[in-house]
Amino acid sequence: MLAYILNLATLICINAVLAITLNFIMGYAGIFSIAHAIFFGVGAYAAAYFSMHVSASLFLAVPVSMLVAGLLSLVLALPALRVRGEYFVAASLGLQVLGVTVFSEWKSVTGGLGGVIGIPPVELFGHAITDPVQFLLLTLGCLLPILLITNILLRSSFGRNLKAIRDSESAAHAFGKNVAAIKTLSVVISSALAAVAGALYAFYLGFINVESFMLDTSVLLMAMVIIGGTGTLLGPIVGTVLLMLLPSLFSYMWFLPQTEIGAIQQIAYGSAMVLLMIFRPSGIVGSRKRSNG
Amino acid sequence: MSQDNVLLRINNLQKNFGGLRVTNNVSLDLRAGIVTTLVGPNGAGKTTLFNLITGHLVPDSGDILWNGQSIVGKSHYQIGRIGIARTFQDLRLFNHMTVEENVLTVMEPSAWIWQPGGSQARKTRKEKVRHILERTQLADKAGTRAIDLAYAERKFLSMARIMAADAKIWLLDEPASGLDRGSYELFLELLRTEVKKGVTVCIIEHNLDIVVGISDRIAFLDQGKLLADGDPATVLKDPHLAAIYFGDQAT
Repeated sequence: MLAYILNLATLICINAVLAITLNFIMGYAGIFSIAHAIFFGVGAYAAAYFSMHVSASLFLAVPVSMLVAGLLSLVLALPALRVRGEYFVAASLGLQVLGVTVFSEWKSVTGGLGGVIGIPPVELFGHAITDPVQFLLLTLGCLLPILLITNILLRSSFGRNLKAIRDSESAAHAFGKNVAAIKTLSVVISSALAAVAGALYAFYLGFINVESFMLDTSVLLMAMVIIGGTGTLLGPIVGTVLLMLLPSLFSYMWFLPQTEIGAIQQIAYGSAMVLLMIFRPSGIVGSRKRSNG
Repeated sequence: MSQDNVLLRINNLQKNFGGLRVTNNVSLDLRAGIVTTLVGPNGAGKTTLFNLITGHLVPDSGDILWNGQSIVGKSHYQIGRIGIARTFQDLRLFNHMTVEENVLTVMEPSAWIWQPGGSQARKTRKEKVRHILERTQLADKAGTRAIDLAYAERKFLSMARIMAADAKIWLLDEPASGLDRGSYELFLELLRTEVKKGVTVCIIEHNLDIVVGISDRIAFLDQGKLLADGDPATVLKDPHLAAIYFGDQAT
């Protein structure tokens, strides 16, 4: 039972990092990306490759995965600068499909559909982290600084720049804001921090394949942010906990037919999303007040 | 007025939208420290002229000179930074930010995660925001989101933002439309004070009381053409222009 709880807590922390970083661009810069799982994947593959060929040190593998994801995120930033709103959603969908294809086909790095096996445990000051409690603490040790960094950024002039662009790009331009540079920087920060989750995921499981970085992961991450509260500090964490715990709760309900748990989950998710968007469109943590314009 | 006082010179500016000529060979000087009002019926090309000056649109031909240097082809954020600021007819406030944030962010143009000047500059900006909000009577709404403000307050927030921009030229697109008498007096007082401080203003306005009350010069546009450019008394008394502007009422 303890192992189960530790596993769930670790996966919640990893997904919370992804939801926080997605919220950074979605909730504050208005960049609705459904390609976030790709940067999760890039981080995971980069950390796996680096740890298997160079070093499994946390202080090397994580920065390398952040660097790779940050650079590759410029591919996402490019359409974000050209198109807005629903057009960008379509462009990011294209990037998601493209990314999954690369993950599936670039066999020498990603192992293709079979994935990468034998990823060594992460090392911290030469000590391999294999104990689940230690790994959970490590994951929390990454989640909290990321929450802090994003919070500091969002309260700073950079956060105000992002929100200004989200609310009126043309007004932001008119007041001298270099919208292209601000958007690019936000996408790079978000993707690089998402890569931390990817690296932790690869080290935690010791095995990764493309299944974890598909469109449904991107959609689930978006649901976590929206359900928790887009553009709020704690919303993504609340959304993550809720969506990660629900499946577990269902499996403990003895009166439900165990063979139909998957279908029941889907019905519950779908209904909850619809009801939430009707009665609380700003999410669980978001403001109760509806905007008047 | 000496030619040396020309801050912004528009030379033979032309812009077409498909087959429609929305700016037709317009030449106009905006001189330092005076208020020029653009008058004309709807669709005359007044807002288009603002969009061309601020780089939101690129002219098909002609030139715009800022202190003698061409600014055509510069991106709109670069034009914003050189000292040309504008308001929008539909305001385009940063709706989900507070009143204070709306004004503060205008003073923070750097794209990086910090602004130059350190804590002293930060303190100065905060102080300036407080001062601007007091002048625009928004001080008690500092923590309110822009979207939750009343109409007149939203108009004044739009003015507060442009005051924060520290620009040399203000392009104001119908800033007083829909204001009640009290708000409108406050608006005129604000504008006069800023002009006295040396701000150059170009304003699009339909309210003739405001046009007469504030303008040093009037430029009359119709169907993209500049039909007249001169002192208010001369332009407003021209029966031909009155007929264009008021239609049947003028006759």
